[in-house]
Amino acid sequence: MAITDLALFGAPPAFDQPLPIGQRYFPSRERYEAAFRGIFERQYYTEYGPLNRQLEQKLQQFLGVKHAICVTNETIGLMMVGDAMGLSGKVILPGFASIASAQSLRWAGLEPVFCDADPNTHHIDIDRIAALIDKGVSAIIGVHLWGGACDVQALANLAKVRGVQLYFEAAHAFGCMVDDVRIGNFGRAEVFSFHESNILNASEGGCICTNDDELAARLRTMRSSAGAGKPAEVAKTVNGRMSEAQAAIALMSLEDFSANRRNNETLYRLYATRLGNIPGLKLAQPAGVSLSNYQCVVCQVDEREYGLSCDRLIGLLKAENVETERCFYPGLHRCLPYAQQQPQRLERLPNTDSLRASCILLPVGALVSAQNIARICDILDYANRIAPSIRG
Amino acid sequence: MTKKNNLDELAIFGGTRMFETPKPTSNLVRPDLGTFLGYSKVMFDSHRYTDDGALVKQLQQRLADFHQTQYCVAFCSGFWALALAISALARPGKTEIVMPSFTYRRMADIAAWSKLKPHFCDVEESTLANSAKTVRPCLNENTALILGVHPIVNFCDINGLVGLAQEKNIPLLFDSVESVYESSAGRKIGCFGAAEIFSLGASKLVNGFEGGYLTTNDAQLAERLSMLRNSGRDGQRCEATPGGLNARLNEIHAAMALAGLDDLEHQVARNRERYQTYQRLLAPLKGIRLLEFDESHHPGYKNIVIEILDDWPLSRDDTVRILNAEMILARAYYTPPLHRKRMDYPYITAELPVTDRLAQRYILPPCGHLVSNEDIAIIVELMKFISVNAAAIQIRLQSPGSL
Repeated sequence: MAITDLALFGAPPAFDQPLPIGQRYFPSRERYEAAFRGIFERQYYTEYGPLNRQLEQKLQQFLGVKHAICVTNETIGLMMVGDAMGLSGKVILPGFASIASAQSLRWAGLEPVFCDADPNTHHIDIDRIAALIDKGVSAIIGVHLWGGACDVQALANLAKVRGVQLYFEAAHAFGCMVDDVRIGNFGRAEVFSFHESNILNASEGGCICTNDDELAARLRTMRSSAGAGKPAEVAKTVNGRMSEAQAAIALMSLEDFSANRRNNETLYRLYATRLGNIPGLKLAQPAGVSLSNYQCVVCQVDEREYGLSCDRLIGLLKAENVETERCFYPGLHRCLPYAQQQPQRLERLPNTDSLRASCILLPVGALVSAQNIARICDILDYANRIAPSIRG
Repeated sequence: MTKKNNLDELAIFGGTRMFETPKPTSNLVRPDLGTFLGYSKVMFDSHRYTDDGALVKQLQQRLADFHQTQYCVAFCSGFWALALAISALARPGKTEIVMPSFTYRRMADIAAWSKLKPHFCDVEESTLANSAKTVRPCLNENTALILGVHPIVNFCDINGLVGLAQEKNIPLLFDSVESVYESSAGRKIGCFGAAEIFSLGASKLVNGFEGGYLTTNDAQLAERLSMLRNSGRDGQRCEATPGGLNARLNEIHAAMALAGLDDLEHQVARNRERYQTYQRLLAPLKGIRLLEFDESHHPGYKNIVIEILDDWPLSRDDTVRILNAEMILARAYYTPPLHRKRMDYPYITAELPVTDRLAQRYILPPCGHLVSNEDIAIIVELMKFISVNAAAIQIRLQSPGSL
C-alpha cells in the first residue's frame, strides 16, 4: 500500500457505496410483502391494532417486563415518561449522550443538569451525581451506551437515598442483560429506540418499559390509542402511537434479534482483534452487562500515539466511503440552548469534552461484512504507519 | 339484520346488531397494495428507512405541488406538526394562542405541550368555525398566535382571519386537517396564513398509517421546521436547535401516503358518491339536516355531518347511543367542546354561547372506505325507524332496567 492508494490522495474510494454506521437490519422483501398484505387485508392501520398488541406481548415476554408500551419514537416516549412521572424542576443526565433525553425534558417543562462521564465506561459518573442533587432535582436519567449499561444498582441506591426518581434512556441497549436481567427492568421506566440505527428496527419507533402498573396505565392513556385499557387520569395527552406498519417491522426484527446480535458480536470481535494492534486506537467495550447486543463500535483515538487527529481520521475514512461520526459531538452541555442557559457549567465536564473529541463510531450491522471490516482496519493501520506523510 | 321491525329488535334493547363489523367515521382508505409495494422498493434499494429518505422527499414535493405551495415539511403526525409549528411561529415572550373550543379534542393539549395558554374563542353558526369576528375579542398584548381551524364541512373565514392577522401583525396558522382537497377563490387550501397543517393519519383523506405535514411559502420557516423535526439537526451541523424533537416521518409511512395520493381522484369520486347517497336518502327525513358541501370549493367529501334539528324527536346523544349499539359508530361532533373539559394547565375562556349550543346538535355518521352505499341505505332506514318510533323508544330508554 502506498499513500496514493488512499482516496484522500486521489485513489478511488475503498468502497463503491457508503458503509453506514448504524445497524439497518431489515426483513427481506418477501417477508415485508407478506406482512403488509396482512395489514391491507385487515385494514387496521394504527390505533393499537393487532400487531401492536402482539408486539407488546412479545416484548414483555422477551424482556421479562410487566409492561411494554410501544410509541412513535424514543424521544416522544421519554417526553411521555417525564410528564407521566409528574417530575418537576431539574433532572440530572449525562452530558455525553444523544440529544433525545435533553430535548424530551424541554418539552416536558423540565430543566436538564448535565453530569460528567466516567472516562473508562463512558457512562454517567455516579460519583459526580451526588454533588449535583439539590432541592430542585426530581430525577436522574441514566443513559446506557454502546451495548452496555450504566451501573444500575448504584444508581438505584443513590436515587433511593436522595429521594429522586430514576429512569433510563436505553437506545443502545435493547436485548442486553445485567446479571442476566434484561435492560427494560431497571429504574421506574426504561425507554428504547427502534430507529433504523439500532438492533431492533421499526424504521422509527420506540418502547417504554416499566414494572409500575399505575405509570403504565397513565402512559397508555397519554399515548391516545383506542382500546388500550381503562383510561387513567393524565395531565395531557399526545399522539404517541406506533402504527401497524412500524409494529410489523419491529416484530420481524425481534424474530431476528438473536441472529443479528450474533452477527454484531462477530463483527465487533473482528474490529477488536485488529484495532488492538494499532497504536493509539482503543475499542470501547460494552460496560456493565452480562450480555451485549454489540450494536456500536466506538473507537477512541489518542492523537499523539496514533499520529492523526480525530477530524483527520474522519476525513480520511469518509473519502473511502466509510461513514464515521464523532460520538455526541459537541456534548450536550455545549449545545444550544444549554450552553447559553448554563454557561457556568461549560468547563465542568472535562471527561465529556475529552470523549467527544476523541471517540468515533465505526460501521457495524446489516450492510457491513467481515471483508469490509478487514479493509477498514487495513486503512486504519496503514494511516497510522504513514501518519506523518498524511499530516504533510 | 338490515331492517328493524319492532323495538325489541333494536340492539340497545337486546336485539341483534345491524352490522357485525363496525361502521366507522374514520376514512381508513386503502391504497393499492401493489402501488405501495412499488414505492417501498426505493427503500429496499437504498437501505434507508427513515431520516429524510428519498420517499419522504418525494412525498413533500408531491404535496407541495398538490397544494400549490413552495414548501412542504413532513412529520410523524399532525399532532407534532402542529406542536412544532406553533412553537416556531409563536411571538417570542407571548403566552396565548387563540383557538376555537369547538375542535379536535387534543388541540388544547397541543398548545400546552407548546407552552402556550389556549385562549378559547367562539365559532360562527354558519361555518362551525372561528372567524375574524370571533377571534378579535380574544386578542390582547399576550397573543402569540392565531389558530384558524377549518371545520369538517367547508372552511373557516379565511380572508377575514388573514386580514385580522395582518392588521394586528400576529402570526396565523391554519389547522387544515379536514380541508386537504378544497380550494378557496381558485387557490388551494395550503397556501394561506403563515403555514397550514395537515394529517396523514389513517382516518384522514391521505392515509399514511400515521403522519402529518405543513405547507408554507416561507423558506425560512420550512427550513427551521425541517431542522426542528429532525431533533434540531440539519445533517451538517450537530447543534441541537432549541425546541427540536424527533418528529420525522419514516419511509414506510411516506410510501403509503404516496400510494394514497396516486388514488386520490378516485377516492374523492367514491366519497362523493357516498355523500350523494346520504343527501338523497336523508332529504325526506324530517328533523335531520345534512351539512352540504359547497361544491364550488372542490371538496374531498371525506366526512358527513348531520344536524339534529329541534323537531327531531330524540336527543342527539340518545340517537348516537342507539346507533352505536348497532355497530354504527356515529360520533357527536367535537363534543364536549374543549372549554367544558377538565384541563390541568392554564387556559383562558369566556362565555361561548354559540359553541355550547352547537355542541349539542351535530352527528358524524359513518363514512369512508369501509362504508358502502348499501350500508348508508341501512343506516338511514334505521334513522327513519328511530324517528317513527321515537316516543316509544324514549319511554323505554327512561324506564329503569330497560337497557
